[in-house]
Amino acid sequence: MHTSIQRLGPDKLSSQLTNSILANEDCATYRIAHIDDDPDIRDTVRRILSANGYIVDSYQTMGDFIKALQDSKNHPNLAVLDVMVETMDSGLEAYVEIRKRFPEIPMIFMTSLGEEIRPYFTGVTDEWILIVEKPVEPTSFLSIIRSRLDNSKSAADSS
Amino acid sequence: MAVAEFSWAVSKNRFAFPAIGVTGSKLSDEVLIGNARWFIIFRWVVIGVLILFQIFALVASDTLTKIGITHQQGWPIAVTMVLCVANIAYIYALDFRQSTQYNSPSINIWSQIIVDLLCLSVVVHFIGSTATPAPFFYVLHIALSCIFFSTIESLIVTILVCIMYGIVLLGENPLLFLASQSMLVDSSTPSVNPLKVNILLWMVTLDVLFFTVWYVVSRLSIVVRTHERQLLDAYEQISLAQVEKDRYAVLMTHQLKAPLDAIRSKINLIKGDYCGVASPEIKEVILKIDSRASGMAALILDVLKLERLKAAARSSNALEHVNIETVISKCIDKLKPIANSRQITIEAFIENFVVKGIPDQLEILFENIIANAITYSYNGRSVEIASAIDKRDSSASVTIIDHGIGIGDKDLPHIFDEYFYTPRAALHNRTSSGIGLSIVKTVAENNKLHIKVLSEQNVGTIFSVVFQDAKTSFAPQKNYAAI
Repeated sequence: MHTSIQRLGPDKLSSQLTNSILANEDCATYRIAHIDDDPDIRDTVRRILSANGYIVDSYQTMGDFIKALQDSKNHPNLAVLDVMVETMDSGLEAYVEIRKRFPEIPMIFMTSLGEEIRPYFTGVTDEWILIVEKPVEPTSFLSIIRSRLDNSKSAADSS
Repeated sequence: MAVAEFSWAVSKNRFAFPAIGVTGSKLSDEVLIGNARWFIIFRWVVIGVLILFQIFALVASDTLTKIGITHQQGWPIAVTMVLCVANIAYIYALDFRQSTQYNSPSINIWSQIIVDLLCLSVVVHFIGSTATPAPFFYVLHIALSCIFFSTIESLIVTILVCIMYGIVLLGENPLLFLASQSMLVDSSTPSVNPLKVNILLWMVTLDVLFFTVWYVVSRLSIVVRTHERQLLDAYEQISLAQVEKDRYAVLMTHQLKAPLDAIRSKINLIKGDYCGVASPEIKEVILKIDSRASGMAALILDVLKLERLKAAARSSNALEHVNIETVISKCIDKLKPIANSRQITIEAFIENFVVKGIPDQLEILFENIIANAITYSYNGRSVEIASAIDKRDSSASVTIIDHGIGIGDKDLPHIFDEYFYTPRAALHNRTSSGIGLSIVKTVAENNKLHIKVLSEQNVGTIFSVVFQDAKTSFAPQKNYAAI
């Protein structure tokens, strides 16, 4: 089994990383799923998000993530997906499946190719997909996460 | 225990052309409809010629009678009317009626052929079935049917032509064959014989000619069709190979860039103090590592971009109306942080205009030129971007001026060469890839732009991108300085 779910609560981390800026209390309830087959990227994202008060669920494969979604009722508030996980298209396939089965979960993509991957999205979906280029840059990554969460929150409030 | 066998002995003849039996192939409805329309247009021309003939007949009827063409019977009017009505009926059947079992493009075309041949036979009869050029127009029908139909169908047309010509000749001389038999028995009527022999000779000769033309033209059209099919197949293979190549390029780019991104993500952790506070010395070293790594990452992505732009040149991209101000403001927003980090101000004086182009590509073009201007500027100087439209010849230009190291006279002609970079530029900017201006060149080629470069060493460079057919935008003119 290679399901690697690492969870670190904010309380545990605040003592570890005394110098990191803790986000406001309100963020502590947000859970973010991150799927990437690169352990270094998983580690970086987990450190940055945890230090800022988010709960992070990291998965190595899309299969692991979808299985976790099926097994648990407690879905994440946002999913950060890699495009090329095991194969070139696994990220896209997972996106289509999650969009169909769990439409309430907002998703963003993070890939080394940045905007250059966009041609592969044509025909997959009509929705605008947010693509973040790697490497993970803490400040901009956090602001993207925050704005996505705010968007989905306001969308949920209005509906 | 798992066993897997691998064999590379099977020859993959991917690019071999399949042997196709073109001779018996049925043409698709789409091709048939196209041909039907072409015939209709051609028939209007023939109708036009017939009308001209009638006008000529009215003006100079004596001349026609002298040549031996009988026009008094009103046959040209009848033929013209029949062709007109038939043409309208074909158009109605093609465009305004549902295609059914009894109204298929192939039935449409066959009725066109039969009506045409009947009309031609009438013309042949009145102009003269022998000793005039009229019967040779049958050849035209045979040639056309060879070009547009399958070999079997064109053979049927040829046989039809022979039958019709035979009927015309028989109609004119009902005792043609009988008489020729009687010729053998009764040699006392020598005055009739030469004429009948003559008619028979015409019939046989022309029938031989019709079949020869059918054979030659249908052979030719088989060759042409085979080549056409091969070309189509080859084109399909090329498009497939293009898709495959792009996938490969994407995969390679990903494999090359992913480790760099992991390294740079970790560097960002140190930079952001996520691993404890680092000493200023460590931070300085880390920044240098990051700057080199970012140069390498940019180079890897640029190679992919350049490959894609080159591929885009081969495919027909839809040109759109692009608002130049939007493009340039996007680029400025993107590049402002880099300029700010070196105290370089970006000053923009934009007179907005609209040009036809590929929006993403124009953005790439200006991003590269402005990024270059910033990179090769001296710290603390300014980069000026100005656009202007010349209403006299509706051309427009965007000029990007920097105050920096400039380009030497010797190097200037080569700046658009792929992977070209000068030692001076490399000294100023370690992360130069030599690809940026190749990308600019490819975009300029794809969008048919003209670029003028003026430069003086240690003073600066002026890049002017000239657009043809620019239109004024109605948006208010904006002058703003961006820092």
